Amino acid sequence: MRTRKIMALAGATVLAAALTACGGGDDSGGGSGSGKTLDVLIGANTQYPEEFQAWQKSISDKFKAQTGATVKFETFATANDELTKIQTSVVAGSGPDVYAVGTTMTPTAYSTGAFVKMGDDEWKKIGGKDKFNPATLGISGPDENNQVGIPWVSRPFVMAYNTELLKAAGIDKPATTWDELTQQAKQLTKGDQHGLAIAYKDNFDPWKFVWGMSVQAGNPLVDGKTARLQDPTVQKAYQTYFGWLTNDKVVDPAAVGWTNPQALAAFAKGKTGYFMLTTTTATNSLEQGAVKGKWAFALLPTVPPGATTRPANGVEAASILSGDNLLVADYSKNKDLAFQYVKLITDPEVQLDYYQKFGNLPANASALQTLASDQRLAPVTEAAKKSVATPFTGGWSDIQLALTNVAVQSLPDLAKGSLSPAQIDSRIATAQKSAQSALDRAK
Amino acid sequence: MATQLLSRPEEKTERRARKVTERQRPLWLLAPGGILMVLVILIPLALALWISLIDLDQYTLRRWVEAPFIGLANYAESLDAGLLHSIWISVSFALIATIVTVPIGIAAALVTQNAYRGRGLVRAVFLIPYVLPSFVVATVWRTMLQPDGIVNSLLGQENSLWLSGSRSYWTLILVEIWAAWPFIYLMSLAALQSVDHEVHEASAVDGVTWWPKLIKVILPYLRGPVLLACLLATLNHINNFTLPFVLFGAPAPDNVNVMPMLVYVTSFQGLRFGLSAAMAVASLIIIAIPLFVYLRAVRLDVHEEGGKR
Repeated sequence: MRTRKIMALAGATVLAAALTACGGGDDSGGGSGSGKTLDVLIGANTQYPEEFQAWQKSISDKFKAQTGATVKFETFATANDELTKIQTSVVAGSGPDVYAVGTTMTPTAYSTGAFVKMGDDEWKKIGGKDKFNPATLGISGPDENNQVGIPWVSRPFVMAYNTELLKAAGIDKPATTWDELTQQAKQLTKGDQHGLAIAYKDNFDPWKFVWGMSVQAGNPLVDGKTARLQDPTVQKAYQTYFGWLTNDKVVDPAAVGWTNPQALAAFAKGKTGYFMLTTTTATNSLEQGAVKGKWAFALLPTVPPGATTRPANGVEAASILSGDNLLVADYSKNKDLAFQYVKLITDPEVQLDYYQKFGNLPANASALQTLASDQRLAPVTEAAKKSVATPFTGGWSDIQLALTNVAVQSLPDLAKGSLSPAQIDSRIATAQKSAQSALDRAK
Repeated sequence: MATQLLSRPEEKTERRARKVTERQRPLWLLAPGGILMVLVILIPLALALWISLIDLDQYTLRRWVEAPFIGLANYAESLDAGLLHSIWISVSFALIATIVTVPIGIAAALVTQNAYRGRGLVRAVFLIPYVLPSFVVATVWRTMLQPDGIVNSLLGQENSLWLSGSRSYWTLILVEIWAAWPFIYLMSLAALQSVDHEVHEASAVDGVTWWPKLIKVILPYLRGPVLLACLLATLNHINNFTLPFVLFGAPAPDNVNVMPMLVYVTSFQGLRFGLSAAMAVASLIIIAIPLFVYLRAVRLDVHEEGGKR
């Protein structure tokens, strides 16, 4: 008992020092709303830093007018920074009051047990559960009664295509099955022109393809406590994904070294039919490139490779459920203020303003509806409604990592232009092993 | 004989005097430094040791003091999770980088030893790689080493991969050498400056030509500082996280999955804090052993007193 106390004390000392260094700590000031400070952790916007500053200021002003309290924004650069912040705050029991967390990280955050579970009262405080696009609630918690994530914005994945190139190749509408996509990509590939732009070296893209194709074929990858990576659907997914480069030769070989922004830049030059995985945040870059005015968004195919219709147990997953959730910290001393803040930034007006500035779709249903009439956005809003949540398990980050690792370790073979099914299988086996061990540890 | 007899009592008094001073040394003056050491080094080290023995992950983090004690299970698992492979990569990469940078650094120091027009400029230029932040170095190299990047177009190779597969190991070594040789250069330069003027004069009087002078007279002076530099440089290479992280991203290709990367991915992407602490502690021990042997073998205390002891 005594050693435990000493350890706790020692740990607290070290962590306290670390936290002061990070500029954390919560100010729990006077009695009423005024004089209080709400500490909000939010992802830095590197694309539009000045607009983001201005947005923070306007929210802070609005909040002050409503409640008398000030909002203090803290930003993080990467998901890992955020995770570190969550970890230190969780251990110390103090830190930001409200976190904005990526959807795929919500299960991990949930597993720490450090966030407020949303009951009827809590939902009421922020304006009711019905104000959100139902699909966005898919990754708020493991089930209806244990939700911690409050949907904030959606960034569903879609593909972008070059309208002129497709027209020239005699293709009248973008593909809706993966096989059709491969076929169209072949038609589009000639000379220095390529069918698809894919970011093979990206650290976040590859698993989304594999997950999507597998789910459409009826394999959700996680079945209770069992990982189902060693499965024909996953094999087929990887073979299709790598095959575009090695067998079909519809991708620029340089794509082996591309991250998502590089693939975007390649597509923006106007020599590629499809840019495979993007979101509305890419709009500005596309409008500044050679493809200006010659591109459109489209839903990613929802029929698994090798099939013409989706099997009975397949899911029409157009995108992973992507975007940000808001979490209120359990240790927060300003929970009511926190919910007032959450209400403010999930109301239609603020949500639409945020979309206009940064291209993130509203999670608010009525705000999303007003955007559906926009021609260009129609496929994206549809993708937001057809988004499917990745499995809600604390082990998901490991599984995601394992799936990506298959791609990372395959790059050298991909560059040589040949990758045998046996090689893919052995890498999938490794991934299966680490995915299963992650699930075994999940509580 | 007479001198011997005379010297003995003198020696005795000297020894006694020293003993007294040793006893009366105001050791308490070390307290501030000592407290800082305990706070900054010993407590975190003890915490790391403790964490390496418990099952600390995202599920137990919130009540981390109550995380289950699992003994050496983390250590056993870390051997299974590719720790030895990572240590091998880290150590071999660090040794190669050190071995290559030493002659470059010494040569650069010799080149800038004698005064000539523009020496200041040359010295400044030599320091550029050392002054640039690791992040910048890695980002620039990563851009140059893209499949359709400038390096491939200069070499006339198309789409050969520098940042994935077996070649990534040599890429890491190359970039590390580029960034780290000025450290050896600085240490050698400092040592060269401390060579007594008389030594140069004596060599000149004896009519020694430059090569024997360099090998037999100057280089022995460099031995101590350069051996120390080797040690520090190797440790720096092993601990370098920014370079592989920015160059290759996480998860890293197997060929460059160096120890800091492995520990980082395990703790901050896999969220296995116990396991990663075990990895860190195990690698600390594995690296400390040869380090200890090295320290004993090269006897870095250059002062006469230290040498006698």
